[in-house]
Amino acid sequence: MLKVSHLTKKFGELVAVNDLSFHVAKGQIYGIAGPNGAGKSTIYNLITGNYPFEGEILFDGESIAGMPPHKIAQMGISRTFQVPETFSSLTVEQSVAVGAHFGDTDLFDPQRVDEIITFLELEADRDRMAGELNLLGNKKVMIGAALGTRPKMLLLDEPMAGSNANEIRALMALIRRINVEMGVTIIIIEHFMKVLTELTDKLLIIESGTRIAEGDPDKVTSDPEVIECYLGQAYAEDN
Amino acid sequence: MILEYLDVFISGLTNGSVYALMAVGLTLVYGVSKAFNFAYGSFYSLGGYFAWVLMVLVGLWGGYIVVFALAVPFLMGFGFVTEKLIIAPLRKRSDWEVKVMMITLGLALFMDNGFQVLFGPRMKSLPPLMEGAVSLGDIYIANQDIMIFVLSVSGILAFRWVLNNTRIGMAVRAVAQNPAGAKIVGIPKNRIFAATFGISTVMVGVGGILLAQKYFVSPMGGWDILVKSWVITAFGGMGSIRGGLLAAFILGMLEAFVGYWFGLSWVLFALFAVLLTTLAIRPQGLMGKWG
Repeated sequence: MLKVSHLTKKFGELVAVNDLSFHVAKGQIYGIAGPNGAGKSTIYNLITGNYPFEGEILFDGESIAGMPPHKIAQMGISRTFQVPETFSSLTVEQSVAVGAHFGDTDLFDPQRVDEIITFLELEADRDRMAGELNLLGNKKVMIGAALGTRPKMLLLDEPMAGSNANEIRALMALIRRINVEMGVTIIIIEHFMKVLTELTDKLLIIESGTRIAEGDPDKVTSDPEVIECYLGQAYAEDN
Repeated sequence: MILEYLDVFISGLTNGSVYALMAVGLTLVYGVSKAFNFAYGSFYSLGGYFAWVLMVLVGLWGGYIVVFALAVPFLMGFGFVTEKLIIAPLRKRSDWEVKVMMITLGLALFMDNGFQVLFGPRMKSLPPLMEGAVSLGDIYIANQDIMIFVLSVSGILAFRWVLNNTRIGMAVRAVAQNPAGAKIVGIPKNRIFAATFGISTVMVGVGGILLAQKYFVSPMGGWDILVKSWVITAFGGMGSIRGGLLAAFILGMLEAFVGYWFGLSWVLFALFAVLLTTLAIRPQGLMGKWG
């Protein structure tokens, strides 16, 4: 579904992503992890059209090079951010509707907005401003706006950041449901390895924009090179 | 004495309503795209000259109804194309906000000198929207003032309705609040920037048509409006439309009463004194937010 080949991005002298290739199959939950500054969010910024890049990104066989972000959203790739990027003075309903209005190329369907609000269990908050909700609520609204675009693929950037154990469990369940019930392919960047090993079908570890390991999450997390450059010996001993 | 004060109050209310319309336009562009448009005053003059050409030079049949019907699409198109041609290309560059100020300053000088070349340095007058006055006992209110107030407030209410009830209004609010979030839900951000620039040009241009009946049109007349719109925007809170509305009426009243008590030469002094005092106590303005 998403084929990234020899992706390279330089900011002046800094090579943020270096000749990176990976492939995400339809229906997968694909994880990306690595130390801070490894280039994880830059990959999302490249896939969503925020920067030009070297190499190739194909989505459903079509190159996205040179496409503006709103066109890529309309193609079916949506994303969320580590810090919820919600619209503070739009209500929950309007936030989802804005995605459905602009990201979904089909005619606007108010019933779909209702379905997403129900799916996210936000019925009680539908008329509240997004800015009034707590962190979990804001994260759900951001996901709701992304789902409003009717995405084929959802890129989640550290969705668990700042969440407590209960919220992490709720978000993990929600991500699984989006994947299974809505049929949305998911890429997730996360630092919580337990979340990645439980959720993902395939895991990519990068450092300095370069691939260290890729494959089955359990195998990748026991890879000596991954332990040395990212997870640390303590993680290996604990697990 | 009371009747005189009432006259001044009505003048403040009328001017305040037009200032509100124009300040909302300036605030809209700043709030959505963070661009400060130095040619805003020249767009005000453009509206005035557009109406003068149609009403006086051409002698267009149909009066102000036809003028407004033609002015709105003309000003919208002018603003949209201006943004696309000279501002949008700068956004990709570093320090683009400063570059936008410089290029719109250049555009203002170009337009004002263009007006002078085309229409000469002398002021042009426009016929009133409506002749006569309404009498309420001993109080007379010019129909022109009533019309200016009604049209300005209608313009603001129409804008508010568009912002709250339409697809483009939703997109404008989304881009203003969170440009990053807006992009990923499929909103064509650059088109929204150009559309808001067009809407703001309509607001200030229509303001120019309304006020030209009272204060004439002249090649450099827009600078006073730019300064007042800027003072209102900063006083109300940069990017806050509600703050801009409140500030416009407060400063419209202040202008009317200072002009009445101390003379017109003290008006700008008073406006800046109030602005500086407010910003010293509350740097974000009446209803602005930090960050």
